[in-house]
Amino acid sequence: MSASKSRWAEDDPETEAIVAQRKREKEEKRRAKAEKQRLLEEASKAQAAATTPADPTSPSQDINGDSGPPKKRRRLSNDPDAPSGGGEISTSEGSKKQSSLLRFPAGEWGPCRHVDNFERLNHIEEGSYGWVSRAKDITTGEIVALKKLKIENAPDGFPVTGLREIQTLLEARHQNVVYLREVVMGNKMDDVYLVMDFLEHDLKTLLDEMREPFLPSEIKTLLLQVVGGLEFLHSQWIMHRDLKTSNLLLNNRGEIKIADFGMARYYGDPPPKLTQLVVTLWYRSPELLLGVDKYGTEIDMWSIGCIFGELLTKEPLLQGKNEVDQVSKIFALTGPPNQQIWPGFRSLPNAKSLRLPATPATSTRNPPLLPRSRFPYLTNAGLDLLSSLLALNPAVRPTAQQCLAHPYFREDPRPKPKEMFPSFPSKAGLEKRRRHHTPEAPKHGQDAPELDFAGVFGGAPGGDAGEAGAGFSLRLG
Amino acid sequence: MAHRIAGLKHISNALATPDQLSNSSSSIDGVPSELETSIRCAGAQLTQDAGVLLYLSQDIIAQAIVIFTRFWLGADGGSLRIYSAKDVSAAALYLSAKLSFQPTSPRSVLNAYSFLLSPQASPLWFVNPQGTPSQPPATDCYILSEGSYQAGRLVLLRIESVILRTLGFDTHVALPHTIALTYLQTLGVNNPSVSRRILEHLNAALLSPQLLYVTHQPNALAVAAIYLATRENGVKLVDGEWWEVFDVDREELGFLVVGMQSTEGFLRKEKKTWKGRTVPLVTDEVDAEIERRRMMEEGE
Repeated sequence: MSASKSRWAEDDPETEAIVAQRKREKEEKRRAKAEKQRLLEEASKAQAAATTPADPTSPSQDINGDSGPPKKRRRLSNDPDAPSGGGEISTSEGSKKQSSLLRFPAGEWGPCRHVDNFERLNHIEEGSYGWVSRAKDITTGEIVALKKLKIENAPDGFPVTGLREIQTLLEARHQNVVYLREVVMGNKMDDVYLVMDFLEHDLKTLLDEMREPFLPSEIKTLLLQVVGGLEFLHSQWIMHRDLKTSNLLLNNRGEIKIADFGMARYYGDPPPKLTQLVVTLWYRSPELLLGVDKYGTEIDMWSIGCIFGELLTKEPLLQGKNEVDQVSKIFALTGPPNQQIWPGFRSLPNAKSLRLPATPATSTRNPPLLPRSRFPYLTNAGLDLLSSLLALNPAVRPTAQQCLAHPYFREDPRPKPKEMFPSFPSKAGLEKRRRHHTPEAPKHGQDAPELDFAGVFGGAPGGDAGEAGAGFSLRLG
Repeated sequence: MAHRIAGLKHISNALATPDQLSNSSSSIDGVPSELETSIRCAGAQLTQDAGVLLYLSQDIIAQAIVIFTRFWLGADGGSLRIYSAKDVSAAALYLSAKLSFQPTSPRSVLNAYSFLLSPQASPLWFVNPQGTPSQPPATDCYILSEGSYQAGRLVLLRIESVILRTLGFDTHVALPHTIALTYLQTLGVNNPSVSRRILEHLNAALLSPQLLYVTHQPNALAVAAIYLATRENGVKLVDGEWWEVFDVDREELGFLVVGMQSTEGFLRKEKKTWKGRTVPLVTDEVDAEIERRRMMEEGE
């Protein structure tokens, strides 16, 4: 009896008729009962303070009473005619309507389809984690992006990065996260393709091709969307760990979506020990460069700061040649860290070799404002946001949620409506694109390099010779 | 009526469709359904014990059992005559661990399974009906040779891919355990024996022949376990339909409570039914068992 009543059986088409009938009967009973309850309620109201004995079927009574399972047809434990202490729970009408119950999103699973259901149109890009091409769904005619995962020489079976990418993408359903439609397979065991919505542009290529940077209102629209998507990811316990302009996709309707979850993973609280070899160098936060092994979503916020800067100037903000150079470029922009603005940075593994110049008395502001001369057209609120995103101390950086609430997004010029966004010719859709010289994301499983930061402010090897001894001179242009 | 809220995917699961529950690949291949149930249950216990041997935390083990259970469902699922339950169990555990904060190596997994599947050394009643030997068994009956390791590793990784493809790469499994403890706090109960009992019910439900974890959302499992555990411990909860606060209706709660309570009896019955015999966890053994049943039927 119980099996036929379970929630899945109700969906069974074969028993649909029976279930429907049963439902109708139940509905009738329910209505009759509701009517009865209503009458009782009225009666009890009249008696006002009349205390009725506790309902014998309430779960608390079961302790002493029968030990059997609760029976389906049993009366509700808080029939409204029994004035119970759970007044804040029970509804005043006493109706058993379950309309207030939340339905959890229940998906289904099924086997992968074959990649032959798609016709490949053109190659788009090869990233560190796969080859991407534009393809057409043969049955529906829809254009999709097909990403083939790189699986060769996997000694541990299916690569965990690919699994995480799929798992996080399947969970991260948000209008600003690229939509993973399904996973399809080829003939060989290790031919696995992700089928995603096709978007015309990536932000990196677009910035390269544009003559003028985006307008301030457009930057706000883009940034709001990216941070909105990121806020959702973080709320789902997902860290992206490879945010950069080439991983932000844009369509011709002004919508931007976060893509490439090859580095993404779940995180926990307190943060688990994780690899520091994440995030493409130019977008990598100082604590990662200094070898922190427990980090959180702040590393994504640093990348957002880099992307913000790149949107403003059309050029990547911090183009280090290697880890050491990256650190010196960061400090050149933000000023060197000290115990005041970043307590405890000295205890990070790679900070031991860091020789810092005697720190001048800094402003009381933490984080200090970035040099205004680097971003001449940015408003004060904008500079405040950028400075906080690019705070050396990860604890000071705003969360995605705080970022969205920043006054910068509410001051004039207001974010441009997505519908008003300009459209651009699509490289991915039509022409061959040229390769960028963005460094690649670190490979999973590499050993963390032993870094010697002795040269960051000295003239020692590894540093940028041109900037040796002049760590804070600003190189514009 | 019911409203949907975005962002709840991490505490909800994909559920089996009615079609997947009424048809299985194994039944199409002629495996009697009660045999399938027995093997699935034994495989789940095998996964649990292997996880314990590997020092994996219970959430990884539970996820592995859910993946193992999902694998066999539906006409597109795996068939017990094609895939050995022991291999699927090992691959599911390896896969879940890989995705967790506690990955483990193929060698460790295979070592654990080699021990648990040894007819002489195994402590599992459905592998070694004689029970755990009183004397420590000879090591060569469970130590994995290098050759067996290499062969086993290839099978492990291949079955991992098969599982992924069969499940469409959806490896997400939300568990009720932490949800239950959060709900319990919300209900204002601070009683260690209740908490322990809740976890016991939830872990036992992983072995349920009613496949509770693939037919019900974690919040419902959590509520049912709280209901049972508080009642068993004589802890009084708030009056009223508190389960509705957690989005479970009375009907579902009733079903789950019955299901969870019946698991113990089911396992006892299994043990009795298979007394002195091993549950077939390899395809050849499944074939032999089906043949044996056919012969018995003919003999009657």
